[in-house]
Amino acid sequence: MGFSSINWALVAPLIGIELILMIIAVVDLSKTTTQTNGPKWMWVLISLFFSIIGPILYFTIGRKHT
Amino acid sequence: MNKWLVLFRKEWLEMVRNYKVIWLPLVFVVFGLLQPITLYYLPDILKNAGNMPEGTVIKIATPSSGEVLCETLSQFNQMGILVIVLAFMGIVAAERRSGMMKMILVKPVTYTSYILSKWVSALLLTFVSLSLGMLAAWYYTILLIGSFPFVDLAQGTGIYFIWISFLLTFTLFLSSRLKSSGLIAALALLLGIVLSLVTPLLEKWMKWSPAQLTGAASSLLTEGAAQGNVLLPLTITILLTALFLYLAVREP
Repeated sequence: MGFSSINWALVAPLIGIELILMIIAVVDLSKTTTQTNGPKWMWVLISLFFSIIGPILYFTIGRKHT
Repeated sequence: MNKWLVLFRKEWLEMVRNYKVIWLPLVFVVFGLLQPITLYYLPDILKNAGNMPEGTVIKIATPSSGEVLCETLSQFNQMGILVIVLAFMGIVAAERRSGMMKMILVKPVTYTSYILSKWVSALLLTFVSLSLGMLAAWYYTILLIGSFPFVDLAQGTGIYFIWISFLLTFTLFLSSRLKSSGLIAALALLLGIVLSLVTPLLEKWMKWSPAQLTGAASSLLTEGAAQGNVLLPLTITILLTALFLYLAVREP
């Protein structure tokens, strides 16, 4: 299976959602003034490099709820 | 009722502010899309995984639409429950810790309507997320594998939703009693895991178990009819949900 034989129309929504989650997480990290659980740069890296799981972890346990 | 609506709206505003409204449905949609795609491309994925001797022939029968949707449901049963419990573990506990709860309860609202507004909004968001996830899986299953009746999908998802709402209500109950979010999540997940594990093992004595509902939902999707007695676990689950809700609204 080459790079071109993947049906991109099928995979595109998946990648799109992953990007949306990632962008929301990073934008929120840059905007928020409250402390997070653990250093902020760590959460940026986690959100960027672990697709889907990273942003979820940030939203559930990284964010301090006020 | 009017005051309750104000609380309910405040709950939604809260969920919009911490992006729960966006990410919870998106996560379910991702897991819903992922399952049909992986199963469809499984032979290709295995071929590319490497470490196969030259000339290996892999033959995997393409699963039926029902089986794919059933797989999606079992995916929701692991990742979905984890995500829901993590999302709602602090629903009451965090507000108590931050002092928000005291600020709300000095106003003329009862503790019951305060908890109920949380319960309804959490349940509604969970329902929307689960439905969107299953619809996404259904759409991709139809595209890739074959058609599947919508009625069966709706019934299977409906039964499954009862089981999820039971766990959600238990999480809310724990959140109204305990302080530590970690402990709440651990206990709620423990209940889900223990029930899911023990029920198939002790089939004979666990006919009432809420976890039977996941089995019923799966067989509805794969065979078109629920196996065994569904009414008993359904009744027990609804009663237990009502009990935990009652315990949650009682002021500690």
